[in-house]
Amino acid sequence: MKLPVVRLLFLCLPSAAAGAPVDYLHDVKPLFSERCSQCHGATQQKNGLRLDTTAAALKGGEHGPALKPGHSADSLLLQAVKGTHPNLSRMPYKKPALDDSQIATLAAWIDQGATAPAGEQPGSAKHWAFIPPLRPPVPALTPQPTNPIDAFILARLAQDKIQPAPEADRTTLIRRLSLDLTGLPPSPVEVDAFVRDQRPDAYAQLVDRLLASPHYGERWGRHWLDVARYADSNGYSIDAPRVIWKYRDWVIDALNRDLPFDRFTIEQLAGDLLPAASMDQKIATGFHRNTQINQEGGIDKEQFRIESIIDRVNTTGTAFLGLTIGCCQCHDHKFDPLTQKDYYGLFAFFNNAEEPELPLATPKDLAAAAEGEKKAAAFIASLPAKDPSVWDRMLTWERGMNPTQRQALPQAVREAFDVGFEKRTDAQKQEELEAFVEHAPENKAHKAALKKLRASAPKIPSTMVMEERGKPRRNYLFIKGDFTRDGGPVTPATPAVLHPFKTKERANRLDLAEWLVEPTNPLLARVTVNRIWQQYFGRGLVETENDFGTQGTPPSHPELLDWLATEFITQRWSLKAMHRLIVTSATYRQSSRARPELDIIDPNNKLLARQSRLRLDAEIVRDVALSASGLLNPKIGGPSVYPPIPEGVMSLGQVKREWKVSEGEDRYRRGMYTFFFRATPPPSLSVFDAPDAFSTCTRRLRSNTPLQSLALLNDPQFYDFARSFALKILREGPASDPDKLTFAFRRCLAREPKPAEKETLQKTLTQQLALNEPVKNIPAGIDPNVFSAWLTVARILLNLDETITRE
Amino acid sequence: MNAVPNDSLKALTRRHFFSRCALNVGGIALASLLGGKTNAATANPMALKKPMFAPRAKNVIYLFMAGAPSQLELFDYKPKLIELNGQPIPPSFIEGKRFAFMGSSHGTKLLGTRRKFKQYGSSGAWVSEMFPHTAGIVDDITIVRSCAASLFNHAPAKLFMNTGSGQFGRPSIGAWVTYGIGCESQDLPGFVVLQSGPRGPRGGAVNWGSGFLPTTYQGVPLRGNGEPILNLTTPGGITAARQRQTIDAIRDLNLQRAVETGDPEINTRIAACEMAYRMQSSAPELIDLSGETKATLDLYGVEKDQPSFARNCLLARRLIERGVRFVQLYHTNWDSHGGPGENLQNDFDKVCRDVDQAQAALIKDLKSRGLLDDTLVIWGGEFGRTPMGENRETSGRNHHIDAFTMWFAGGGVKRGAVIGQTDELGFNAIEDRMHIHDIHATVLHLLGVDHTRLTFRFQGRDFRLTDVHGEVMSRLFA
Repeated sequence: MKLPVVRLLFLCLPSAAAGAPVDYLHDVKPLFSERCSQCHGATQQKNGLRLDTTAAALKGGEHGPALKPGHSADSLLLQAVKGTHPNLSRMPYKKPALDDSQIATLAAWIDQGATAPAGEQPGSAKHWAFIPPLRPPVPALTPQPTNPIDAFILARLAQDKIQPAPEADRTTLIRRLSLDLTGLPPSPVEVDAFVRDQRPDAYAQLVDRLLASPHYGERWGRHWLDVARYADSNGYSIDAPRVIWKYRDWVIDALNRDLPFDRFTIEQLAGDLLPAASMDQKIATGFHRNTQINQEGGIDKEQFRIESIIDRVNTTGTAFLGLTIGCCQCHDHKFDPLTQKDYYGLFAFFNNAEEPELPLATPKDLAAAAEGEKKAAAFIASLPAKDPSVWDRMLTWERGMNPTQRQALPQAVREAFDVGFEKRTDAQKQEELEAFVEHAPENKAHKAALKKLRASAPKIPSTMVMEERGKPRRNYLFIKGDFTRDGGPVTPATPAVLHPFKTKERANRLDLAEWLVEPTNPLLARVTVNRIWQQYFGRGLVETENDFGTQGTPPSHPELLDWLATEFITQRWSLKAMHRLIVTSATYRQSSRARPELDIIDPNNKLLARQSRLRLDAEIVRDVALSASGLLNPKIGGPSVYPPIPEGVMSLGQVKREWKVSEGEDRYRRGMYTFFFRATPPPSLSVFDAPDAFSTCTRRLRSNTPLQSLALLNDPQFYDFARSFALKILREGPASDPDKLTFAFRRCLAREPKPAEKETLQKTLTQQLALNEPVKNIPAGIDPNVFSAWLTVARILLNLDETITRE
Repeated sequence: MNAVPNDSLKALTRRHFFSRCALNVGGIALASLLGGKTNAATANPMALKKPMFAPRAKNVIYLFMAGAPSQLELFDYKPKLIELNGQPIPPSFIEGKRFAFMGSSHGTKLLGTRRKFKQYGSSGAWVSEMFPHTAGIVDDITIVRSCAASLFNHAPAKLFMNTGSGQFGRPSIGAWVTYGIGCESQDLPGFVVLQSGPRGPRGGAVNWGSGFLPTTYQGVPLRGNGEPILNLTTPGGITAARQRQTIDAIRDLNLQRAVETGDPEINTRIAACEMAYRMQSSAPELIDLSGETKATLDLYGVEKDQPSFARNCLLARRLIERGVRFVQLYHTNWDSHGGPGENLQNDFDKVCRDVDQAQAALIKDLKSRGLLDDTLVIWGGEFGRTPMGENRETSGRNHHIDAFTMWFAGGGVKRGAVIGQTDELGFNAIEDRMHIHDIHATVLHLLGVDHTRLTFRFQGRDFRLTDVHGEVMSRLFA
């Protein structure tokens, strides 16, 4: 306990602790790395000076040695950071100055002799994350924990003489585990069964049951869909709906059958290039079709094709490598050994794809559909002959439309509008004529005829996929990231700092995907296990889950990270194996109660001496309310649905999109199936920090706002859930009010209410029963005041912090 | 189970408050909940933060003219352009430039305005006949004729004007401001958005999004019809008494859990829930204009219960009065290409009439109430329009990023000034060019924020509104 306190005091009050020895690796080197090495490090040595080793600092640059050990006042370094040297600018140059405590730390270190450990490697030595993980030994402890994760965590806690938290009670455990693995709360029956289960492996059995649940694929699929920036519309301003839910269902299914993560990666990046690619493998390439498509008038299409490739490169860098490779679009990376050339090497892999829609049908159905389209096209082509005034009428229609009406038409038609009639191609004229027939009310007869021709053809669903292009595009570097400025040719290549790429003629996406999953890749396994870890503990072992580069935070438990990464590969990239490993650890099973005694040593719980309470994800907030009220429709997959949303939401976008509210059980599907328009996302999801799907999201924020309270209290959907919940309590709950309260409480929180909690609820119930001001729409056969009072109880419970929190 | 007595957990909870944040008046209600101790502060993300230096403005009203108004019909008077009407543009102007609708044929011939211009006020600012009311306030505003943008399609350009980038995912200026200095209102959101005109602005909610900042900071759209904020109305015939008892019980149960778990997040949620309850009455009060005099309503041109730009201007003043930090008004449609609904003839007349009286009224009203000193008013679109005409059915102008006009008023801005010059055709800004990044830097500066120091770390680097650009244009300052 004592040591860390001393260190903390030292950091706060450096002058008072000037005599305390400065730890170079802990206090000085990180400062150099953070504030100086950009100009005085491995990549640049302004004025010949580098500060990434003490030896280099002693050697100094053009102005002489930067350090004079034992004499801080005479050291150039100190004079420079203080700005007291007559000829040197205050350092860091044109950046905020070091604060007083940092300067005092440097001074104390120099005065104590400016010592550093022997054999210190300069910055050109590879950053830890670029070296493949070596499996570290599991720390030896007495008694030895059965789960290696616990050995690493306990060994670190022991360094600070901290005991872990006790295990959470069983009710908390089953709720935690159910929410984490399936995103659904356990039913009271499941809770009781687990609490009573005397078998020594009761917990392991529960884990297996939940991992086998098809809802596991939904829960963890949604995490991946964040990374994949999945949504149901094209984005940008027009934001037309798109059909790509088959990709979403592929993700759910792939996780449920525990498709090894290396295959999972390959199929999404290059499923279409696999030998004899299956329909499923093609669908998987929807991963990189989740980019936005700009359908605004007057755009330069090539510009937005390139924007989507830029997004693919950046997303690939973040999702699989945990690198901020996007920084290199315009220039070499400022901090990491990644170059602009590396960037366009990756770009080249993605620049050679077509972006088609894959029809999901048998060849016979396809032929029948093509036949129907052919007939329809012939019909349109024959119209001007049959109906000579049709062109004139069409132009009148075109002129009469207001901008909103125009926006609602297909892109090809809007493009035709931008060209004078004489200059339109035949195809454009046909497109417009068809739109005229479809949309102008005067064409009833033509429209009916067209409909009839198409009615016989089967409706073919489709999904967006990638497809390699026969004739390769030319690849070149964009000067300052501007595609109009040609910086010379590039070929497909991977970043030089990472494991070697087997160069070959015309490397393609499949080569890139195979390179990514090579066991020598230092990043893929680490980045992936870290993201899994983050979902269970609220923070990754590397806190900057999307930046494993030199500016990221170093891992809190580097050996554990590497052990998990190597274990992941040993387990043949099985995600379920990693989940089982983590959730069966004692570390995961700890209580999440605050530990005030650790407030100073470990205020952010980085050492994991307890679990953390985590606000549920947006979709799960809905799922929990649906489960409690008994409304949940657990159907998995299929087209996205349209539960009721507040009026006026869809008119916030540039084009008012239709939102035809789903009927029946589709109103009560899990939150992840709600149709997601990027420009006008469902408010009850965005308010709880669902990502916007504009770019990859590897960690959701957890905000805590009044608008969330308003949503839970007053959103018509949540009110609907509360009404059903109240009915359920009254119709299915026990006879007495106190028992009913317990029944309702457990449906939301799994646990029994504490006496004080029950008292609060009972008091409110009594107050409410006395209010003679019933709500509207009382269900038949129920006393209005009774229903209204229990509706309040339902609303209270659905609004509790704990209901929307994983404890 | 619980090894620690409740009292010490309470103490812990309080310590978290103190350690994490500044004083917040809204926390007082909470303090009483926590045992009657005063001085409680919560982890309120909207808590007031100290400006980096003395601010000239406290609040912002941003009148966003969505679709990009033609500066050549309003403020940038170009006799030479009128003289050369119908001539092809000299090639030197357009060499190497990319335009919207590049592939199409229209738009290489110069188009002189048909609108009459006159000089007004002691600044002698040129204003066209389209803005008679605005002409009357030129001595209260600074007109900048040399603004410049980077992107020429609406959605990315609008995003750029709001976030400093054409890429999605960056915070808007209103979000940066409330993140940077907090908000005085305890009963209303810090950043409020109002919309009028025939359609929503292109791009929609991302224009006032919080990007990678917490969602607390995103703009809250006040709706033109129905309840002004989403989910403000208590549903299903629930009475005020029922709702209050509900909220009290939620608070009591949450508080018991806060003590049990020691998690300070629960206290934030309790405070949020209380604010939500207050918003249920403060927001309807805000939009209830019955207390405004007829003179005020007439000044703006507000017609009873009609959603309009005029009503939104009046609401903007009321929001500022109630301590809201950043109010943004969008009005469409200024996209005068020349097609139906978008021509420079009748359609332009209409959209000018929509805004002219109300925007002038806003300045006068703020001034007469002494609010203009603290309130910065910004007026402008996402870019400007070309000196070349576009002839579709009727005439119009294409998108133009090299020069356009914005105006600024109040909050430390010069009263009655014209800054910046364009060339004789109005194509390029040739004096005091003010790029969007410079506008952002300047606005933040007026609010007491150094644009280079307002940062947020995301994806491995410190982001700021002005990216690596932006110069404070002190010529604007009074």
